[in-house]
Amino acid sequence: MKKILVADDEMSIRLLYSEELKDEGYEVLTAADGREALDIVEKTPLDLVILDIKMPEMSGIEVLRQIKEKNPNLPVLLSSAYSEYKQDFGTWASEEYLVKSSDLEDLKAAVKRHLKD
Amino acid sequence: MSDQLGLLTQLIELFTSSVSYGERLDNFVHLLARNLNFDLALFFVLEKEKQRLLLNTSSQGPVSPSMLIVFPLGRGLVGQTAQTREHLIAYRDDPEIFPANRPLETIYPDFQTLASFAVADDNFLYGVLLLVDQKRRKLDTATLKLIKLACLMLAGTIRQALRHDETKKRIAELSGLFEIGKAISSTMELDALLERILSTAAKVINARGAILRIIDEQTGLPRVASEYGDVFETSACLLTSKLETAVVSGELPFVTTSLPDLQGHLHSYLGVPLNFKGHLKGMLCVFDKMSEALEFQEFDAENRQLLFTMAGMISSSIENALTFQELEALAEKNERMVRVLTVLQEISWALMTTVRMEKILDIILNALTLESGLAYDRAVVLLVNENRHVLKAVKGVFRKTSPPTLPLREALMVPVEVRAESAMEKLLPRLQIPLQEDKGILARTVLQKKTFHIVQAEQDSRVNQELRQAYDLQEFVSVPLIVKDQVTGVIVVDNQRSKRAIRDNDVQILNMFANQAVLAIENSRLYSTIEANNRELSLIRERMLESDRLAALSGLAQGMAHEIRNPLTSIGGFARRISKKVGKNSPLRHDVEVITQEVERLEKLLREVLDFSGVNLGYYEEHDFNQIIEDALTLIERDLMASNIKIAKDFALLPNVHCDDRQIKQVFYNLFQNARQAMDKGGTLTIRTYPVEKSDGLYAAAAVSDTGGGIPLELLHNIFNPFFTTKEFGTGLGLSIAERIVSRHYGQIEIINELGKGVTFIVTLPIAKYCLIKTAEDQEAQP
Repeated sequence: MKKILVADDEMSIRLLYSEELKDEGYEVLTAADGREALDIVEKTPLDLVILDIKMPEMSGIEVLRQIKEKNPNLPVLLSSAYSEYKQDFGTWASEEYLVKSSDLEDLKAAVKRHLKD
Repeated sequence: MSDQLGLLTQLIELFTSSVSYGERLDNFVHLLARNLNFDLALFFVLEKEKQRLLLNTSSQGPVSPSMLIVFPLGRGLVGQTAQTREHLIAYRDDPEIFPANRPLETIYPDFQTLASFAVADDNFLYGVLLLVDQKRRKLDTATLKLIKLACLMLAGTIRQALRHDETKKRIAELSGLFEIGKAISSTMELDALLERILSTAAKVINARGAILRIIDEQTGLPRVASEYGDVFETSACLLTSKLETAVVSGELPFVTTSLPDLQGHLHSYLGVPLNFKGHLKGMLCVFDKMSEALEFQEFDAENRQLLFTMAGMISSSIENALTFQELEALAEKNERMVRVLTVLQEISWALMTTVRMEKILDIILNALTLESGLAYDRAVVLLVNENRHVLKAVKGVFRKTSPPTLPLREALMVPVEVRAESAMEKLLPRLQIPLQEDKGILARTVLQKKTFHIVQAEQDSRVNQELRQAYDLQEFVSVPLIVKDQVTGVIVVDNQRSKRAIRDNDVQILNMFANQAVLAIENSRLYSTIEANNRELSLIRERMLESDRLAALSGLAQGMAHEIRNPLTSIGGFARRISKKVGKNSPLRHDVEVITQEVERLEKLLREVLDFSGVNLGYYEEHDFNQIIEDALTLIERDLMASNIKIAKDFALLPNVHCDDRQIKQVFYNLFQNARQAMDKGGTLTIRTYPVEKSDGLYAAAAVSDTGGGIPLELLHNIFNPFFTTKEFGTGLGLSIAERIVSRHYGQIEIINELGKGVTFIVTLPIAKYCLIKTAEDQEAQP
């Protein structure tokens, strides 16, 4: 079973994403801030990370940088309430940038694409 | 003895009587002849030249010309007596005497005795008395003494008479000079002065007429020519030429000459020089001296002397009069100049009242054509168009306006109505002259930066003959409007109707006027440039303020978006989950779907309002227009395909546009979105780009067409209004946002609505290098 980490400071988002992804048949871990996310990335072998850009303790961009430093092959999807940073995700070396939406079809399609199954 | 006493008494009576000199002489010879009992008593008078003695008076009566007897000094008894002043008595039979005295036979053939006596005083010999008798007579001492006494008395009376004559002459001369003096002080007016001088001079000399010439030494031409009496043309010419040579050579003591008139009659002339202390020289001449009996006489030395004296007197007064005339002319010129300057000042004042080009042109044209202004019949103003290298007619006046009842200042301000009544007036707006030397005087005026005064346009090879015919040009002046050594235009004036000649002075005034006019024109240009720049600046400032406001607003909205979007995502997300979990027939299903839909609507609103228009305002750079459209298309391609809409692209190669690419991307996103919604049953979205040249520069255009059937007419005027929508799900902001963005980019958005077919939106944006370079001059060039 593929392991996905959902890192978001909003509890409701963490809950929504993990429920939805679990329904899709993934194992989902969650982190409420950047530091926690990095801990999990270090300790647990993961298949994909969904990362909020704006989080307390450590911003998602910094988390992304450190993840990619340690594990460049781990796909990271950025999920944000901000649409204006969308064109910058390439320079941040993430796999995809998704504007948060109640319609999770785009998110699930992206997850599927990057897990290559 | 008593006889002798009686004669003496009679002689004394005679010499003390008041009769005239000639009568006394008559009586004298008569008395002597009778009292001395001589047949004949004759008086021979000594000529002025003192060479000959002429028979003057006879006791037998008047001396007719046939009785003319002349004795040269020393010849005959009369001549000898005159020489020796001794009395002589001779007889016919004396052989030595007779031949010399023979002329006496003509009046008295039988003379026997001749007795001659000198009539002289201590100094002068006046003549000789000759007594003649047919008998041989002897004269006793007493008689001789008596005769000598009588001769002495006669000499006295002659001397007196001569003195009297002399005095009379002097008086006449003096009164002549007095008359001249009166004449020269009578007036300062040259013509009147000359007339009086000449008439007086002629009268004093007893001449029939007089001529006066003054030569201008510098030009050698007669400067003043005045005549009195009937002057014959030929004589006047001859005199003038004679005078010129004499004046030039500097020798002109006097001229006496006789010239024939056309009928061959000889006329005598006497001329004396007029020398002025300045550089003027001339001649005063009288002609045809007449005696009291209206007989022609020769001018004599006294006449010359008198004329010399008069010449001396009049020359200074003539010079004064000439100076006065010059001063008067100068004063008149000054007065004219003051008038012209006043007019120019009024014009200058009027020109200062405005910076509006249209008004300035009117004032210029009024100034040129008003009767109280420069009063030309026609005037046209042409301005140089640097870009096209042509001179273009701007405005003209072809007819006089009604006589000005207004003061000049106000009349100048009256707007000039352009009435295209005649062919010329209709042609004027299209009059364009390429700036090449061979295109006529107007082009030359610009190229050579100088004024042209053409007197006969028809004969002048420099004149553009086509133009001459079209505008009936004869004499005209073309004046350049020069500012900072650049010709900005040309003023052309003429007097086509009145044919009033244009003087050099007028041309000078025109040049002065042109200097004023060009300053006003230049001021107006500078002012409108400044005005345009100000407008531009305030527009930019306004837009910057707006940008700031929007940026602030969007910063706020951005923060809110984050805050709202998160809960919306979870609310919507969970609602969808519930919706999936409850059965299709569950009573909850509908409720949950309402939540889902409302959340979706909120999310869409967020997207439309915030995702595009928010940040990054004002990042204006050069961008590839086609690329921006491609980018926008990518964003919506999936939706279009889902709606079964085909895409047709026709992109032209375009220069970069100056824009904020994200905003422009939104414009096209909105337009595509709009097209998609219009074609909910599928269709074709056509996108075409192409360059457009507008009056103020080059633009890039994109036409976005749908096949959605067009917009109903009643809705058309509303489509750019915010919150206007025909759609069930729409904010109504799409086109309004697009329109605002485009206008903020100095672009335009147009709509072509074809009912039953579809709508085409055309977006034009300025090409980068033309953007913001909208100078006032460009706007002016294309009013």
